[in-house]
Amino acid sequence: MPRSRRHFLQSLGAGAIVAGAPAWAFARTFDPTREPAPPVRDPKYREWSTVALAEAKRLGCSYSDIRFTRNRAQSIGVRNGQILRGGGGFGGGDATETYGFGVRVIHSGVWGFASSPLVTPEEIKRVTGIATDVARASAIAKKRDVQLAGVPAYDEFWQVSIEKDPWEVPLEEKVEHLRSVTSTMQKNPAVMFAVASMSFEHEWKYLATSEGSFIEQVFHFTSCDADATARTGQQVKTRSYGQLGGAGYEFLLKADMPGRAERIAAEAVEHSMAKPVERGLKDLVLLPSHLGLTIHEIVAHATEVDRIAGYEANYAGTSFVKIADLGKLKYGSKHFNVSADRTFPTGMATVGFDDDGVKAQKWPLVKEGILVGLQTNRETAHLVDEKESRGCTFANHWRNYPFLRMPNVQLEPGPKGSPTVDQMIADVKDGVLVDGSGSFSIDQQRYNGQFGGDAFWEIKNGKKTRMVSDFTYNAITTDFWANLDAVGPPETWEHHGLTGDAKGQPVQSNHPSHGSAPCLIRKIMVGAAYA
Amino acid sequence: MSYSREDVKAITDKVLNMAKADAVEVRFAGGERSATRYANSTITANLVEHDQEVQITVFYGQKSASTSTHQFDDGSLKSAIEQAQELAKRRPDNPELMPPVKPPQDYLAVDGALPPAVAFGPAERARLVKQSVDVCEKKGVLGAGYIPKLHWTDALANSEGLFAYYRYAEASFILTCRTPDGTGSGWAGTTGLKDVTKIDAAALSEVAADKALKSRKPRAIEPGNYTVILEPRPAARLLSLMLFSLNARPAEEGRSFMSGAERGTTKLGQKIFGENVTIRSDVGNPILRQTPIGPDGLASRPITWVEKGVVKNLFYDRYWAKKQNKAFSPTGPQQSLVMDGGDATIDQMVKSTKRGLLITFFWYIRPVEQMTLLNTGMTRDGMFLIENGEIAGPVQNFRWNDGPARAFNNISMLGRAVPMHIGEAYDFPGTALVPAMKIEDFRMTSISPAV
Repeated sequence: MPRSRRHFLQSLGAGAIVAGAPAWAFARTFDPTREPAPPVRDPKYREWSTVALAEAKRLGCSYSDIRFTRNRAQSIGVRNGQILRGGGGFGGGDATETYGFGVRVIHSGVWGFASSPLVTPEEIKRVTGIATDVARASAIAKKRDVQLAGVPAYDEFWQVSIEKDPWEVPLEEKVEHLRSVTSTMQKNPAVMFAVASMSFEHEWKYLATSEGSFIEQVFHFTSCDADATARTGQQVKTRSYGQLGGAGYEFLLKADMPGRAERIAAEAVEHSMAKPVERGLKDLVLLPSHLGLTIHEIVAHATEVDRIAGYEANYAGTSFVKIADLGKLKYGSKHFNVSADRTFPTGMATVGFDDDGVKAQKWPLVKEGILVGLQTNRETAHLVDEKESRGCTFANHWRNYPFLRMPNVQLEPGPKGSPTVDQMIADVKDGVLVDGSGSFSIDQQRYNGQFGGDAFWEIKNGKKTRMVSDFTYNAITTDFWANLDAVGPPETWEHHGLTGDAKGQPVQSNHPSHGSAPCLIRKIMVGAAYA
Repeated sequence: MSYSREDVKAITDKVLNMAKADAVEVRFAGGERSATRYANSTITANLVEHDQEVQITVFYGQKSASTSTHQFDDGSLKSAIEQAQELAKRRPDNPELMPPVKPPQDYLAVDGALPPAVAFGPAERARLVKQSVDVCEKKGVLGAGYIPKLHWTDALANSEGLFAYYRYAEASFILTCRTPDGTGSGWAGTTGLKDVTKIDAAALSEVAADKALKSRKPRAIEPGNYTVILEPRPAARLLSLMLFSLNARPAEEGRSFMSGAERGTTKLGQKIFGENVTIRSDVGNPILRQTPIGPDGLASRPITWVEKGVVKNLFYDRYWAKKQNKAFSPTGPQQSLVMDGGDATIDQMVKSTKRGLLITFFWYIRPVEQMTLLNTGMTRDGMFLIENGEIAGPVQNFRWNDGPARAFNNISMLGRAVPMHIGEAYDFPGTALVPAMKIEDFRMTSISPAV
């Protein structure tokens, strides 16, 4: 029997509306001065997890899990040498911290989820009760029971290995690094604005499930970005360079913003003076920095099983791919090989285990142009007649419920000896070389995409001639990849991280990586946006 | 969780008493975010999230830094304060730093938390899903929908004695119906309602289901320039595309649509849209009931941004206003946004159209060229060809490349303004009052078979 709304509201704590702050608001939870990070294998979390799992069992849940996370983040931005304050007061080296837990249960065959930042055994028990109430209440609009694929029990610790901890680098050193970048860009007198930024996140996560798993993981994310903006007449253009990775401060140093700053500035100015690209069918040489987003939009999203099954019909959309297409659909040319990979070092979606407690793995999505795999989690594996999940469950915050999110999706390089960028250019009569990501948009089933980029060079008769502006191309997904004529060799393969991947309701932001080698794609419609 | 004025004052007072600096500012945010989601006519997620956070900013001369924490025990607050103090002292001076706003600030009285919305729980949401799914089953379509609820409190206090508090509760009902064969799709919804008794799940489900059925097997027509009738949802998305340009700073820095031909000049005072375009921030609007607290805790007042097509005001934050020797704006462009409507119904718009398109939804809109507000996006979830004043049938979706700079000069009819979220998702405040619009000469550039 569903509990009444009144009962529910009582359990939610509506009684806290009293004069003065409610006592629970000051409940002792966690003291970062004495506990800078929850220590590895702290028995407290196993004990507290057991509170949730036992309570869920007592309430009749057929499944339960509890996930604690603690995230620390810092972002620093400098504009023309001046430290920035971003939205909400953050951005100038300020720090955010968030710590809490979420409980997920299945009761009456339906999911229920509740979360709280008050990490005490009493609150864990209370929130488990709310999650159960929510599931019970949902049963009146249920058509079928949630069905989970089996998973072994794990008791493991996993962490991203880093060489240099960003949190040990002094603020002054970080600010100086950024100022050196903007200072170099500002040496170009035609640059109006020079912006450089870096951000770091440290995440600790502890998952316990009623299947017997106790999994603790530690992640590090580092990103950096350098932008120069120039204006010539009415034409304002920004040239950007950025990198994101599941790594430490060493990743930022390797990205070498200072070494690239002069070129970024010069290309911003050149772009602001560039003439529009000629419209028409052209061959495209696409660099890995550009391809990341294209792979994301028209391969990675299209192969998510929850989308295919209609779970996202009200928001992110469905997919042109059907489950029956497995092993049959010609997704691209024979050069087109794509893998899903949660194990790739420095990958933004690399994990030891997903938020269902499924071990990370790598598997093929497209082999020699044919669709051979899809992305699943425990809830959706049965839809493709698989006994085990591919490990794609993820929540971006303790506050949010976990659901199917894409892993790193990578385009495999061509074999040794495949054409390099220079050789691809030499093989193009009329085309465009594209670097970086820009304007991008795609329909809700991932057929029709329009993509821009960050910088574009005309190719005429095998030569890179001049920078051009007003570039976009239109891609009908399977036609686009069918025209893939060459993929660069292994030594030209690059990793590119991405963030802001929105899906779900309430919407959550995911952060996958999409690596590739440069690609040559023939006969693509260019410039229609500006017609 | 409900945070009363007294609850929050006790928390912010505690932080202000603990933190020592030239000045201190505390922002509080907290409450309940809940949601129910369904797809294929069955509930797929139902959740209740509780969160609370303080952001603490300390000031030392022209230096400042912020930290945040979700835990309010002494140890966590002390740690967050000390970290902010240390970061602030180690930072270079920021010449753009403005001191905290001084009281008194005379906030308009807005009651944003009506009891039925505060009490709107998972069992009621599940009942609405059941009503919706029953309609879907009767019509033979699959329902996928979302019912988000926010019961939230925002507050700002500072060491000058300012205390600003706003609590609100709102909910939305949004759904997409699809035919089982995947050839038809329809959308309907209402968002950001403070009066949740106005949610009629069955009626909205009828609209979405009928659209799905009527949009089956759309035919392909040629891309080109069309007269379009935008229902309130796509109209709201189109309106959102010009909000950033209302900021004075990027305009005067020469990097926005509102920049004038010469660097440092703007389009203030110029007629840039048609006579029928008036865009305002109507703080205190009795339907929207949105926050009366403006940037940095200033007391917001109604302001007109565009009147009869003429740019009347740009938004100046306190620093930029001081630098440019202008008055600062106590109201941001996203606050209590209203685009004035007319009295035309969708039926009247259709009857007056010789050849055009009736559009239910815009999807995946992204900027192409910031200086001209050129954007691209897709149509979705029901598009119909109009011929000689009548709906001739469903047509395949288009990609468009256009934007408010052209479109708001080509509006020929306006409907009544209704609450509609202007953002891509529906989770944060962002509902405005927006009318349906009939727009001439809208640029459809390519076709998509996506349904």
